[in-house]
Amino acid sequence: MFHVPKNALYKTISRRKFLELGGGAAVALGAGSLGVGLGSVISKHPVHAASSMDAKWRQYEGSKLVFMSENTPPSFAIRDNIKSFYDLTGIEVEILTDGLPTVQQKVGIDLRSGQADYQLNYVQDKPIGSPFADFYADLNEFSVDDTLPLDPQGYGDNVWFENFLDACGVYYERGPIRAFPYDCAVSCTFYRQDLFEKLTKDFEADYGYRMEFTDDTTYKNMVDFAAFFKMMHERDSSIPYGYGQHHGSFGWTTQLDIQRHMYAQNQWLDFAVDDTLGSKNPGPANWGDAQSVKSMAGYKALADVSHPDNLTNGTLELNTVYAAGGVAMQIQYHEFAASVEDAEQSVAAGGKTAYAMGPKGEQSWNVATSNVVNATNCGIGGIGINAGASTDLQRAAFIFASWACSHETQLMVLQGVGGTPTRRSVLDLPEVKAARNRPTSMPNALTFEAVYDKGIRSPNMVLGPKLPKANEYHEIVRVGTQQCISGELSAQEACESIGDELNAMHGV
Amino acid sequence: MAVNTIHREPPEQSAYRGVRRVDHSPQIFNNQPARYYLMWLLLPAVLLLAAISLYPFVWLIYMSLHEVQLAPGKSDLWAGVDNFTRLFSDKSFARGWVTLFKYSALCLSVEISLGVLVAVILNNSRLEKLFITIFLMPMMMAPVVAGFLYMFLYNGTFGWYFWLLRSLGVLDGGTILGNKSWAMAGIVATDVWQWTPLIALITLAGLKRVPQEQLEANMVDGAGPLRNFFSVALPNLYPFLLIAILLRFMDNFRFIDTILIMTGGGPANATKILPTYLFDVSFKFFELGRGAAIAFTLLLLTILLGLILTKIFEDPTRKIKTDGMD
Repeated sequence: MFHVPKNALYKTISRRKFLELGGGAAVALGAGSLGVGLGSVISKHPVHAASSMDAKWRQYEGSKLVFMSENTPPSFAIRDNIKSFYDLTGIEVEILTDGLPTVQQKVGIDLRSGQADYQLNYVQDKPIGSPFADFYADLNEFSVDDTLPLDPQGYGDNVWFENFLDACGVYYERGPIRAFPYDCAVSCTFYRQDLFEKLTKDFEADYGYRMEFTDDTTYKNMVDFAAFFKMMHERDSSIPYGYGQHHGSFGWTTQLDIQRHMYAQNQWLDFAVDDTLGSKNPGPANWGDAQSVKSMAGYKALADVSHPDNLTNGTLELNTVYAAGGVAMQIQYHEFAASVEDAEQSVAAGGKTAYAMGPKGEQSWNVATSNVVNATNCGIGGIGINAGASTDLQRAAFIFASWACSHETQLMVLQGVGGTPTRRSVLDLPEVKAARNRPTSMPNALTFEAVYDKGIRSPNMVLGPKLPKANEYHEIVRVGTQQCISGELSAQEACESIGDELNAMHGV
Repeated sequence: MAVNTIHREPPEQSAYRGVRRVDHSPQIFNNQPARYYLMWLLLPAVLLLAAISLYPFVWLIYMSLHEVQLAPGKSDLWAGVDNFTRLFSDKSFARGWVTLFKYSALCLSVEISLGVLVAVILNNSRLEKLFITIFLMPMMMAPVVAGFLYMFLYNGTFGWYFWLLRSLGVLDGGTILGNKSWAMAGIVATDVWQWTPLIALITLAGLKRVPQEQLEANMVDGAGPLRNFFSVALPNLYPFLLIAILLRFMDNFRFIDTILIMTGGGPANATKILPTYLFDVSFKFFELGRGAAIAFTLLLLTILLGLILTKIFEDPTRKIKTDGMD
């Protein structure tokens, strides 16, 4: 085929040799692909109920599991400390992390395929749990199995904060538990106390009342605060904008943002269903009714005086804007306190930020009653086990899930990169109680009063609807809300459009 | 190989004297001894192609005609043409098409104009090779990386382009990706930045093939550079431009990486082109049947538009070829 000099030093490869090499390479590649594809390994050492606790922990020594999780602090902390789990059990756990939209897609494809490459999943209640609940093993079966190393506190509803187990573990029916609460992101208000104190006299001169943030601060007050900051920013660009909303490309962030606003007024809900259970047939949507239109108009009024990047800032981006000194207030998830209080990456650290519950509803924005609440919502990230995995893989996965949600592990995460405990017992520890005040080594604890003592208590907490088509629902709400904020649709048109699309989605 | 046979026609009958013609006519098999073993040699390649393209295509049609079930153990339900008829009342589907055409038209027109201009400027210039190497750099970047790069450049807090446009007074209030009109311009600009070099490269290759004698003859007739370009160079570029347009047109219908990274289709669906919506339906909502129906319509229309584009450019192409042979 090619010219070869007569005195060439190399030898030609015969056709037979070439085929042999090619065949060998193909076999090696195939075997390698299989090895990569089949990431999990199971190795079993039978135990009995009477076996020692050590034997129960180590019954799957030599096994390997894969945990697909969101890139949240608990997963980072657990990955950093995974050796302690390995030392305890001999089970190797590979923790893969990614942004929630990507996790949602990867987990969905894996569950749908039935391959169970990810035996352990981060089950974020609405985007992952709601559409895929049926694909997860019922953890009740494991939590009463005395051949497994069960948590001494147990897994009942009372060991977790109220509604947490329902939020991430119960879908559409009472009975099966699909996930244990692994971490939580609960909303609260982060605001620049230093700027509030500095500018309150100017604000009072214009608006006639002091610029303070209390439990009675309403969304109408927020509009005033944000308008004042915006005016000040236009005069002096070193003063930040007042407020920022969550409207990133991920539909759930926008839906959560407006959900708080809507619920604060008259405890308004999208559907007439029990949010702790959710529904596969939620019936007609409430979007388009008089209360939704009035609340949406208020939301638009707030958007008009907020940060100009409102329509692109998702949750993470908004926090970056706040940490960079771009806004003076944000309603944010309490897990972000750790980054806000990190002086290396935040100008709002060092006592400049204070934390409070979300604003209260504005009575004048109510249609019928005077019922207003400090709406608080959340994302409860559960840890679930892929029902497509073999029984032994599921049992080994349960050992990890139980350990990852245990009191000791949650404390370890809280002391490390800033965890968000889901077990009540963690907050009772003296060191955690002490950490609620500055100076603190657990910055997330600064939010605990606003979050655990007040925000998640009834009537403030809103879980949001669990629907099999949750992700489409989030997207419909996102688009309608953004159309209103951008001025494309009026509040009434936007609410009616959302209602029509939701009803069409559910065939109502 | 047997399929390509060189013919030499009698000189008096040949319009292409001295030119070796390659005949692709299948009739040559009739003159050859049957060599059926060739079919067996082709079989692995055919099977491989069938596995990687035919099987998914058949599966796509299957899914588009079913309600694909997600729950374990449940069989897919026959839906007939429901997934297709539902598209008629799907506002996002219709809007996705409109946005896609708008996006594609903007990208193509700017890229072709700029690409041809860059190629003409670079053609036969002293530092042609250096400049073309520099211009090609954006094209070497993964679209995801380009998306992140421009997302940061447009950022309303620290983005350099945002600062520049704001300082120039072009951007009044709001931000680039937070404003519906600006967001579309932003993603078009990213596409133009990344893919204009491809058009320039293809056009430059075409310019090298423009017959010098035609250009010289035109100049002798008194044509200036502009006239020379439109009368001689541009008609000779048609086949090359066709390739460039077809490539970019199909890319615009397929590539969603940049848009997903930069806007996710927002704000308020302003940049949600149909393939982005298809991605949402299939991999966010996991409505695989509906997603397959959308994909099928997208495929059909892409083929149809490809044929139309080829037809538009076909006649000038043939004319040039014939002219060149005379």
